[in-house]
Amino acid sequence: MVLLVAIGLMPRACPAESDSRIVGFTVEPESVVLVGPDSLRGLLVHGQREDGRTVDLTHQVSYRSTLSDYFTVNRHGVVEAVADGTGDVEIVFGERTVSVPVQVEKVTVPHGYHFENDIIPVLSKYGCNFSGCHGKAEGQNGFKLSVFGFDAKADYDALVKQGRGRRTFPAAAGRSLLLTKASGFMPHGGGIRIIEDSREYKVLKGWIAAGAPFGDADAPLVVRIAISPHERIVDTNASQQLRVIARYSNGRELDVTSIAKYQSNNDGLAAVDAMGMVRIGKVAGQVAVMANFNGAVDTFQALIPRKQRIDNYPAAAEHNFIDRLVHAKLKKLNIIPSAMADDAEFMRRAYISIVGTLPTAEEARSFLADAEPEKHRRLVNQLLERPEYADYWALKWADMLRVDRQALGHKTAYQYYGWIRQSLAENKPLDRFARDILTLSGPTSGAPQVSFYSVVGGPNQLASTVSQVFLGVRIECAQCHHHPFDRWSQADYYGMTAFFQQVSRKGTPRGEVMLAEGDPETKHPRTGAKIYAHALGTEMPEKSPEGDRREVLADWMTSPDNRWFARNAANRIWAQFMGRGLVEPVDDFRDTNPPSNPELLDALAQYLVEHDFDVKELIRAITASHTYQRSSQPNETNEQDEQNYSRALLKRMDAEVLFDAVSQVTGIDEKFRGVPYGYRAIQLWDSEVDHYFLKLFGRSTRKTVCVCERSDEPTVGQVLHVLNSSEIHAKLAHEAGQVTRLVNANKSDADVVDSLYLTFFARMPNSDEKSTALNYFKTTDSGRRAAAEDLAWSLMNSLEFVFNH
Amino acid sequence: MRSKSVFCDGIERRSFLRVGSAGLFGTMWTLPALLQQNAAAAKNSIDRSKDDRSLIIVFLRGGLSTIDTWDLKPNAPSEFRGDFDPIPTNVPGIQIGEHTPRVAQQLDKFSLIRSFTHGNSNHGPADHYMLTGYRPVAGFNAGLTPNNQRPSHGSIIARKLGPRGSVPPYVCVPDMHPSCGASYLGATCAPFSINADPNDPGFTVRDIVPPLDLDPSRFGSRRALLAQVDRFQRGAESRANTKAKTVSVFRQKAFDLMTSPATKKAFDIHSEDDKLRDEYGRNSLGQSCLMARRLVETGVRCVTIHHVDWDTHDNNFVTLKRDLLPHLDGAMATLLRDLSDRGLLKKTIVMVTGEFGRTPRINKNAGRDHWGPGFTVAIGGGGIQGGRVVGNSNERAEKPAENPYRPEDLAATLHHLLGINPNEVFYTADNRPVRIVNDGRVIEELI
Repeated sequence: MVLLVAIGLMPRACPAESDSRIVGFTVEPESVVLVGPDSLRGLLVHGQREDGRTVDLTHQVSYRSTLSDYFTVNRHGVVEAVADGTGDVEIVFGERTVSVPVQVEKVTVPHGYHFENDIIPVLSKYGCNFSGCHGKAEGQNGFKLSVFGFDAKADYDALVKQGRGRRTFPAAAGRSLLLTKASGFMPHGGGIRIIEDSREYKVLKGWIAAGAPFGDADAPLVVRIAISPHERIVDTNASQQLRVIARYSNGRELDVTSIAKYQSNNDGLAAVDAMGMVRIGKVAGQVAVMANFNGAVDTFQALIPRKQRIDNYPAAAEHNFIDRLVHAKLKKLNIIPSAMADDAEFMRRAYISIVGTLPTAEEARSFLADAEPEKHRRLVNQLLERPEYADYWALKWADMLRVDRQALGHKTAYQYYGWIRQSLAENKPLDRFARDILTLSGPTSGAPQVSFYSVVGGPNQLASTVSQVFLGVRIECAQCHHHPFDRWSQADYYGMTAFFQQVSRKGTPRGEVMLAEGDPETKHPRTGAKIYAHALGTEMPEKSPEGDRREVLADWMTSPDNRWFARNAANRIWAQFMGRGLVEPVDDFRDTNPPSNPELLDALAQYLVEHDFDVKELIRAITASHTYQRSSQPNETNEQDEQNYSRALLKRMDAEVLFDAVSQVTGIDEKFRGVPYGYRAIQLWDSEVDHYFLKLFGRSTRKTVCVCERSDEPTVGQVLHVLNSSEIHAKLAHEAGQVTRLVNANKSDADVVDSLYLTFFARMPNSDEKSTALNYFKTTDSGRRAAAEDLAWSLMNSLEFVFNH
Repeated sequence: MRSKSVFCDGIERRSFLRVGSAGLFGTMWTLPALLQQNAAAAKNSIDRSKDDRSLIIVFLRGGLSTIDTWDLKPNAPSEFRGDFDPIPTNVPGIQIGEHTPRVAQQLDKFSLIRSFTHGNSNHGPADHYMLTGYRPVAGFNAGLTPNNQRPSHGSIIARKLGPRGSVPPYVCVPDMHPSCGASYLGATCAPFSINADPNDPGFTVRDIVPPLDLDPSRFGSRRALLAQVDRFQRGAESRANTKAKTVSVFRQKAFDLMTSPATKKAFDIHSEDDKLRDEYGRNSLGQSCLMARRLVETGVRCVTIHHVDWDTHDNNFVTLKRDLLPHLDGAMATLLRDLSDRGLLKKTIVMVTGEFGRTPRINKNAGRDHWGPGFTVAIGGGGIQGGRVVGNSNERAEKPAENPYRPEDLAATLHHLLGINPNEVFYTADNRPVRIVNDGRVIEELI
C-alpha cells in the first residue's frame, strides 16, 4: 500500500513497467489427488505483481515432477496419472519454487464408463451433435444424434443399436465406424474431427472396448461447473488460462478444461480457444467468457483497464446514483468521461430520444435563450407530456408486441396499436401494462390486447414470447433441448408453457370471450413426465395452480423482487437513451451474458420498482444524470470505449424518426398510404406501409419479437438516397418548403444561415461555419435560393444530422 | 464550379487519411497497421497477370434440385428418379436434364462438379458456407443482413484486387443476399446492391445520379460544401463511433459511384439490343444475367445474382418445368454464349449453384427437401475447362461416390483463378488471423 501512495504522487499515465514486477506466486490447487485411470488436473499459477494485481503465469513458469513414475506434468501445467503413488510437482519461476504434492490412486481400477458423463461431452466438444451435423432434426447421412446431446438414451441407441452395429464394435474397437469416421480413417462428410491417439479418441475407444456400456442409471451426474479464475482484472493484450472443474452429484470433482466448450460474449475484447486460453485484445472494457459442459455453464469475467493508468483521476461531479456507479466503473478502467454537452446538444438529444422528433428552429431558439437554471429538467418534463411521446414509444412497443397488419388484419391491428398507444399516453405503469396483456379474460370486444394472443400463437410461442419481451430471456432453445448457453432445461420451458395451456377463445352469442380454465396437462416431450406450471428459476410445485394460472405468472413477474422483469424494462429504456444496453443485445439476459455494469442495472431496476414502474420517472432520472448529458466529443482516454458510457455515443436515428426529421426540416410533410395527410412516420401503426426510405433505413417488419428486426446498419444505398433521391430533393426545393420560405422572407444571408443551422442541427453556427456559409452565399453563381438549398443539402447529409449525438 | 480543383484535391487527401487513420472496422486500422498490411500484401503478392478476371455467381437461393438438372439418375428407383429424362449435350458422353436444352448446347463452356458436398441442410448456414467458404459457428444469426461471420467471396475480391476502373468492384443484382457482406473486411469491401430488378420496364438504379432538375455544376459545389460543413466527419466523433465511421466510408463510395460514367452506362440496360434481351429471357433471372455481363464488361470484379424461389418442397417437378428451369435455361445459356462471343468467357468465371441440392428421395408433396450431403455445382470460364464432369455421385445422387469437393475447395479454386493466394491471412477486428480459405485445395481437375 505504501507503494501505491508513492505512485499516486507520480505524474499521470506513468509507464506500467515500473510496477509490473512479479513479487511472488501461488499455485491452484495447493495439492492434487488423481483418482482412476486417465485422470488429470491442470494447474493454474497466479503471479502477484508489485502493484497488487494478480496475473496468469501458468504458461510462463516451468514444471518439474519428482518421482515421475507416478504421474507426468507437461509444460501447460497439466498433471496426468500414470501409477499409484505420491510425489511433488515443482513450479519454478525466476528464483522461486513452489511445490504441489500429488497423490495418484486407483489407476488400475478399470474405468466405469458412463455414456452421458464420458461420451456425450466428446460428441459435443467436436460438434458431432450440433444442428449443422448429426444433431439436426433429420440427422446426417442416416446417423442422428440429439442436438447438444440432450437425449442420452436416444444417442446411445443411435450409436450402439442402430447402424447394424457397425458404429460401435467392441470386438475390435478401433474398427468401429464412430472412430474410423471421426478420425478420418474412412471418408467422413464432416472431415477429420478426432485425431487418433488424442485423449478423446482413447476415451471413445476405451468405452467401446469395455462393451459400450450405458452406465449406471444412478451414476453421479454433473451438478455444476466452476471456472477458475472467476473474475480478474487483466491487462490489454494479456492472456489468461482458464480451468474448468465439474462437480458431480457424489461430490467428485473432475478437470474438464479440455472438453468444455467456450465462448466469449465480445470477440473484440477477448477471444478464447478450445483449451480455455483467453487472449485479451487491446481495447478496455468488460468481457465474459462462458464455458459449457454437459448442460452446466459458468463464466469468467475480465475487467480490462486501459494500459495508461490515471493517477490524478479527476473528481467528476455526480448528479445521481447513475453517475456514481458509472464513474466507479470508469475509474477502474482508467477512463475519464467526456465533458458535459452544451445546451444545444442536450436539447437535440433529449428531443430525439424522448419524443423521436427534432426540435424546430423556434423551440431551439427559445431553449437556448432561456436563462432558467432548471431548464434541462423542465424540458424533459415538457417532452414527456407531448403526444409525440406516446407516438414514439408506441412505435417501439408495437415492434415488440408485433402489431402486424398482415397477420391480424387491418382493423384489428389498428385497434391493437390504439390500445398500446393509449397505455403509453396515460403512462400506465409497466407492471399493469404487462398484467393487462397476460391476464386478459372475458369478452374480447373491448380488449384489443387480445391481438397479442392472435399474433403470437399457441402456449409454446406465448411462453417464449412473454419471456423475451417482458423478461428479456430467450428460452425457445429449451423447447427442444437444454439451452446451450443458459441454465434452462425443457422442464423450465414447459413449466412456462403450462401457464398458457388453459387459454382458449370461444364464440358466444354476445361475442368472443377468452377463457382460462380447466386443468390441462403439460408433458415433458421426451420423458413424458407431467410438468406443472412454474415460472423460470422457481421450483416446480406438486400441481399447477388453481384457477387462471396466468394470474400466478403475472404476480410472480411483477413482484418487486422478480429478478428479470424490472431489469429487462430498465435495460431497454437505458439502451434507448444511451445507445447501448447494459445487457446487449437487450433481449438476451443470460447468466453467461452478464451486464457490463451489474450494480447500475440493479440500481436502475430498483429505481423503477420504487417508483411503481413509472417509466417517465426512470426517464427523468436517466436524462438528469451527467452520464446522459455527456458530450459526444471523445477524449484521449475514452476514444475506444463504446461500452461503458464514458461519452455520448452517436446513435443512428430510427428509420421513422430520421424520415420525420427530413420532412420537418424541409417543411414538407409526407402523405403515407392509409393515413391522412400530416401523419408522421412515427405515428404509423402499420410497419408495412409501402415506403422506400423507411424500408431502406431498416424499420422492423414485426415478424418476430427480436429487437434485431430493426436495423441501424448503414448501407451505401442509404447514403446515396439522402444525397440524390428526387423525393428528398423535391422537399428541399419545394416552393412552399422551409428553405424557400426563409429566403423569401427577405432575411439577410446571415439570418438565413442561422435559421438553417437551427432547423437542421438545433444550434447556432460557430463563427467559422458562419463565414464558410456566408462566403458560399456570396460566391455562388446560381442565386441565393440555390445557395440556401445547397447549404440545407449539406447539413442534411452531415453525420451530425443523421445521428442522434 | 469555382472550387472544384480545391475539393478534388481535398477529397483525395482526406480519403487516404480516412482509410489510414479513421479505419474501417474496429480499432485495428491505424496508419502504421495499414502500411504493415501493404508490406504484407507485397509478400502475398497478387498474380497481376490475372487482373482481367471476374466472377459471376448465379445464386439460386432455396436450393437447385441438381438430380433434376445436372446429375440425373434415370435408373434409380422411382421414388428418387423424378419425372425428367436426360438429354445429350454438345459434349459427347455428358447428359443433363431435359428442361435446360439450351444450356445443353453450351456444355462445352462449363463443367459440372457432381461430387459436391457440405453436409449442411439448413438455409442460412448453408448459404453462408457456399458464399464465404466458411461454415458458420456458434452465434450465427441468419436473420441479420448482413449475417456474415466471414467475408463473402466478393468482399475478399474487393479487398484484394480493389476496383478496376471507376466502377465498384463488387455488385449485387438485383439485391443483396444476406451472406454477401464484408464482415471484418469492413465497409469498403461491402457490395454495392442495385436494389432494383433489371427486368422491370422502368428499371433504373435508384439514387446514383443527382436529381435531374439539379444543375450538374451545383453538385460539385455542394459536395465541397458538405466536406466543410460536416464537422463530425472530420472530428474524433467519426473515429470513435463504428457506425459513423461506416457512413463516412460509404459516402466516399457513393461519390465514386456517382462520378463514374462507366457505371451509369453499365446500368443502362435499356440501351441493350432487344433481341439479345429476349434471348436472355424477359424475367428477373435473365435480365440479371445480362446486367452481370454488362457490369463485368465495364470492370466489375464480382457480381452476385441473388435469385429466390428455388425451395421446391412442394410440386418440385411442375415448378421446375413450368417456371424455374425455362428461366435458368435462357439466362445461363445466353450468358455463356454472350460472354464467349465477346471474348469475355476466358476471363470470367461463371458459377451456378444453390446453397445445397435437394433430397434425392421425393417427398409426399411431390417435392424435394433440403440436401447438403451431395449436389452438383456448375462452373465455367475464367480458366476453368469446359465440358468436364468432375467427381461422381452415388447411384441415387445422395452423396459423392468419389472425389468429394467442399465449399473450401471451391473457394480455393475461385481465388486461385482470380490471382488471390487462398492461404493469405486477414485479421479480424480482434486481431485474430484468419486465412482467406479454410484449408481448401484447388480443384485441379477443373483447370
